[in-house]
Amino acid sequence: MGGEAVSGGIGRSVRRPDGPDKASGVFRYAGDLRVPGMLHARTLRSPHPRARLGRIDAAAARRLPGVAAVVTAADVPGVATYGLIVADQPVFAAAEVRYAGEPVAAVAAVDVATARRALAAIEVDYEPLPPSTDPERVLAADAESLHPAGNLFREIDIRHGEPGVDGPVVVEDRYVVGMQDQAFLAPEAALVSPAADGGVDLLVATQWLHSDREQLAACLGIPENLVRLTLAGVGGAFGGREDVTLQIHGALLARATGAPVRIAYDRVESFLGHPHRHPARMWFRHTATADGELVSVQANVVLDGGAYASSSPAVLANAVTHAAGPYRVPHTRLRGVAVRTNNPPCGAMRGFGVPQVTIGHEAQMDRLADALGMDPVELRIRNAVRPGDVLPTGQVLGAPLPARELIQLVAARPLPPPPTADVTGLALPGGLPAAAEPGRVRRGVGYALAYKNLLFSEGMDDSSAARVRLDLTDDGTPRVRVHSACAEVGQGFVTIAGQIARTELGVEQVVLAPADTAVGSAGSTSASRQTWMSGGAVRGACVAVADRLLARVARAADLPAEVVEAPRRTLRIAAGHIVGVEAGLRIGIADALAEGPIEADYTFHHRRTTALDAEGQGDPHVAFAGAAHRAVVDVDIDLGLVRVVSMALAQDCGTVLNPLSLRGQVEGGTAQGLGLALMEELITVDGVVVNPTFHDYLLPTIADVPDLDFVAVTEPQPDAPYGVKGVGEAPTCTATPAIVAAIRAAVGRDLRRVPVRPQDLVDLPTRPDLPTGSDLPTGSDVPAGVDVPTRAGVDPAGGASTA
Amino acid sequence: MFRRGSDRAGAVHGPAHTVLAAVLPPAAVPVGVVPVTAGGTTSAMFRPRTVGEAVEMLAAAHDSGAAVALLGGGTDLVPALRSGERAAEVVVALRRVLELRVRGAGADSLTIGAGVTYTDLAGWSLSPGLARAARVVGSVQIRNTGTVGGALGSARPAGDLLTFLTAADAEVLTTSPRGSDRLPLPRFLAEGLAPDALVTAVRLARPGGPQVYLKIGERQAAYPAVVSCAVLVDRVRHRLTCAVGGVGLLPARMEAAERYARDEVDWSTGTVSSAAARRFGDLVVEAATRITPALPAGPRGSAEYRWHAAGVLAGRAFARCLHVTAPPASGPVGDFAAGGQP
Repeated sequence: MGGEAVSGGIGRSVRRPDGPDKASGVFRYAGDLRVPGMLHARTLRSPHPRARLGRIDAAAARRLPGVAAVVTAADVPGVATYGLIVADQPVFAAAEVRYAGEPVAAVAAVDVATARRALAAIEVDYEPLPPSTDPERVLAADAESLHPAGNLFREIDIRHGEPGVDGPVVVEDRYVVGMQDQAFLAPEAALVSPAADGGVDLLVATQWLHSDREQLAACLGIPENLVRLTLAGVGGAFGGREDVTLQIHGALLARATGAPVRIAYDRVESFLGHPHRHPARMWFRHTATADGELVSVQANVVLDGGAYASSSPAVLANAVTHAAGPYRVPHTRLRGVAVRTNNPPCGAMRGFGVPQVTIGHEAQMDRLADALGMDPVELRIRNAVRPGDVLPTGQVLGAPLPARELIQLVAARPLPPPPTADVTGLALPGGLPAAAEPGRVRRGVGYALAYKNLLFSEGMDDSSAARVRLDLTDDGTPRVRVHSACAEVGQGFVTIAGQIARTELGVEQVVLAPADTAVGSAGSTSASRQTWMSGGAVRGACVAVADRLLARVARAADLPAEVVEAPRRTLRIAAGHIVGVEAGLRIGIADALAEGPIEADYTFHHRRTTALDAEGQGDPHVAFAGAAHRAVVDVDIDLGLVRVVSMALAQDCGTVLNPLSLRGQVEGGTAQGLGLALMEELITVDGVVVNPTFHDYLLPTIADVPDLDFVAVTEPQPDAPYGVKGVGEAPTCTATPAIVAAIRAAVGRDLRRVPVRPQDLVDLPTRPDLPTGSDLPTGSDVPAGVDVPTRAGVDPAGGASTA
Repeated sequence: MFRRGSDRAGAVHGPAHTVLAAVLPPAAVPVGVVPVTAGGTTSAMFRPRTVGEAVEMLAAAHDSGAAVALLGGGTDLVPALRSGERAAEVVVALRRVLELRVRGAGADSLTIGAGVTYTDLAGWSLSPGLARAARVVGSVQIRNTGTVGGALGSARPAGDLLTFLTAADAEVLTTSPRGSDRLPLPRFLAEGLAPDALVTAVRLARPGGPQVYLKIGERQAAYPAVVSCAVLVDRVRHRLTCAVGGVGLLPARMEAAERYARDEVDWSTGTVSSAAARRFGDLVVEAATRITPALPAGPRGSAEYRWHAAGVLAGRAFARCLHVTAPPASGPVGDFAAGGQP
């Protein structure tokens, strides 16, 4: 539709309405919400990674003045467990705790200090059990089952092409990826109020209101319509708010006390309270012809899902289906398991299984280039997938996916000037303390190419609903009200919804209603899906409203019945008016609304996909987006200090709806990938997180992240509204391996562990970059074509962990 | 420093103010007891104006058997109270004690009050080496509030100031009901502060030559040191001192390397051979491997890496303090001109 003169439509860099408030510190996040008379809730967590749970005595805590309620597993009226895919996680640990940090009880009191004192007064009998923390051991025949559902969340085995076909050039190795945390800046928080009808009302920072509602209702044992959620201000999510954390605890306390309850985590609890990115142990074997055509790729991936399933089964599917990367490979065998351990639970995080395997397949591509004596860019160009190619799952790659164009584009970007001898300060690796010696700094350049699936996969119909109402304000101006349950977590739906409504309805004033469960589900704000899915729903609802508006005008103007039935052939909306050139009609939208507002609902569905069969074959992914990064780093080779000098990104973005918002997404994705490459790792020792603070878990600062040289490729996605693609995840997948490749080029040694640590870059007597006693095959002990068992065997040496 | 952990005279204040502002009356009494909530415990807060008052309050609190915490900038204390790692029934807040915020210079020595912040030090021309060490502590917010007394009280294994002061043969001045006292830094760190005593100042010699402080961590800015090293040269007394942080539980002096330097440096010209710079680093590695008690194996930086890095940093700091006659063919020492000659 033509909203010719309406400003702020699609394609414009419309600014976020919450931007100034966030920048100036007055934005109200979920944790800032207060109501008179509210209670403050805190959570008691297990210090043990595994323990039998005996008596929990809360009598002393309940007697403390100011304590309103203490709840434990015994107080859960409905289903005792919850989960995104499988409900295997107890609301509170009942018989056994399975990870350090697992909730055991929660307290509501008049203030936080009293709540904390009450936690300290709860007596819990733990009988510590030996934790299983090595993901390669928990599937052994004699391994103890850590949960009634067993230790295997999922196993996938993709066979494509002929087994045992090899090229003459072989590269094979193991890789390890540490546990990254979403580390969003506003910790988990909710304000929960009991309602007179027996239900609860929650204001909560989440990624998926309706999934929270479903899980809450089941555990509270009340109908879903009595659980009402409204999105509160979200300060970052990155997958870390896709799982339920404090929602059920807060609701139990609100119902137990009959009072509003503010439940919130501090920084340490936030690090313990939500699932993290899966640590991965991976083995890859790539073979190619002498002139650099990939012949076969074998991969074996072990994802440590921690104590509970969360989204592990879906993360594994992503990891395994993407394990060969965006390359044409005739013969693939890609396998993986996601397993249960007594480590912290892992689940959704930006990239959702793809960053881990990208680190592996891109390291392999560089080493293959070395083995072939080829330029790494040339090798990628030669093997990059093209639309129409058959992927390892048998899925035919749809257009567009400009993989080779992306790597070519990024390689053509100008390089930064070479390092000079007189650099100082922040320009040196290690920054201002100036420990680096310019004469000992080496530069490296590295590349990475990846693709990432968009939207939910494997047959999921993750539809999104929206409601659009066109009415008049009190002063008679047309106004659009958009109602969607899409959780704004920073991705930009707050501008996109309005841009779409202005474009479709030619009305400048758009109001976005609070995201809540009074409207149908918008699905999760994850999987690069909301601009496509909820954008599609808003567009569909706007089109329906426009159709009704035009039909109304046609009827009022006594146009023929066929025009009333299909008014768009004759009438169109243009900047606040309905115009019919042939009919000689021009009427203001405001006039057309005089007889009443128009409202329409629309539910958007993406194309159907299919599950994987026993051979790992199917049509699992709706679509893909590609990205290519080039990283330039300087490394002080004596100290192993790394500075990222420049980052360039070429990305397959589809149609760009908001260039400013796009820039924010790709810069953020690049920074988060940089963090994983160099510093972000939640470290566990025997299952216990030892660095749950921003003092010990380092995030990149503005001094660590260079300006991004960004090129968008904007070929429209045919089945998406306006031709959009999701953009937030792809750059996270490629930033990490590009930086690792650049470091490898600078120091001249293969790197097998991410994050790369200074100690991995210098000559030391021992080099502990890979866990010892791993059952994944190494380069030396697996001859070509040998069938490698997926299930972990037993190693009598025992006991190694990624820590 | 933005760290958790115990300290005696803490250092922050962003967080401290947030907490305190909530409970203090608008016109807070100059001296007195204010109930304050920090973390899970309710404490009484004392706000003395003089060292004498502070000591009286400490003594009274001590006699009453209360757990006392000294609040400097609060960068260590406030997070520790919030996390429950520390509990205090009495907090003695030292910000208003102006005597503690004074720094001065005598003929031979510099005296720095315990309440002097890193920002105060960062621009101090009388001690350029100390100024540079102060400039690389934490972030600007931390430097604006963290204090010298806090650094001594917290005694971080790789504390920036502590490593520098260890190399500087600093003395710690304290006051208690028994009067004033003066202790060498190592003794102060070994014995700790008496519960009724207060650190009032630290004293060190005026610089007698180049001083270099280097540290490494895991990002470009605002990071805690994984390994740190200070080298101080006294051209008058023909002396070079070196301390390494981040290897042991406390910064350690590298005595064998110091002796080697004393003999190898041509003190008339301040010159040393490039081979000597390398040997100096090697001696530091050897000494680092023997430091006891060693820092427990942590998540970051293996012990082997810390030893190695200590040697590289020491070799570089050494070379930057002196004129090296010919650059070595390879090794940790490169472009000396880029070093930090004051």
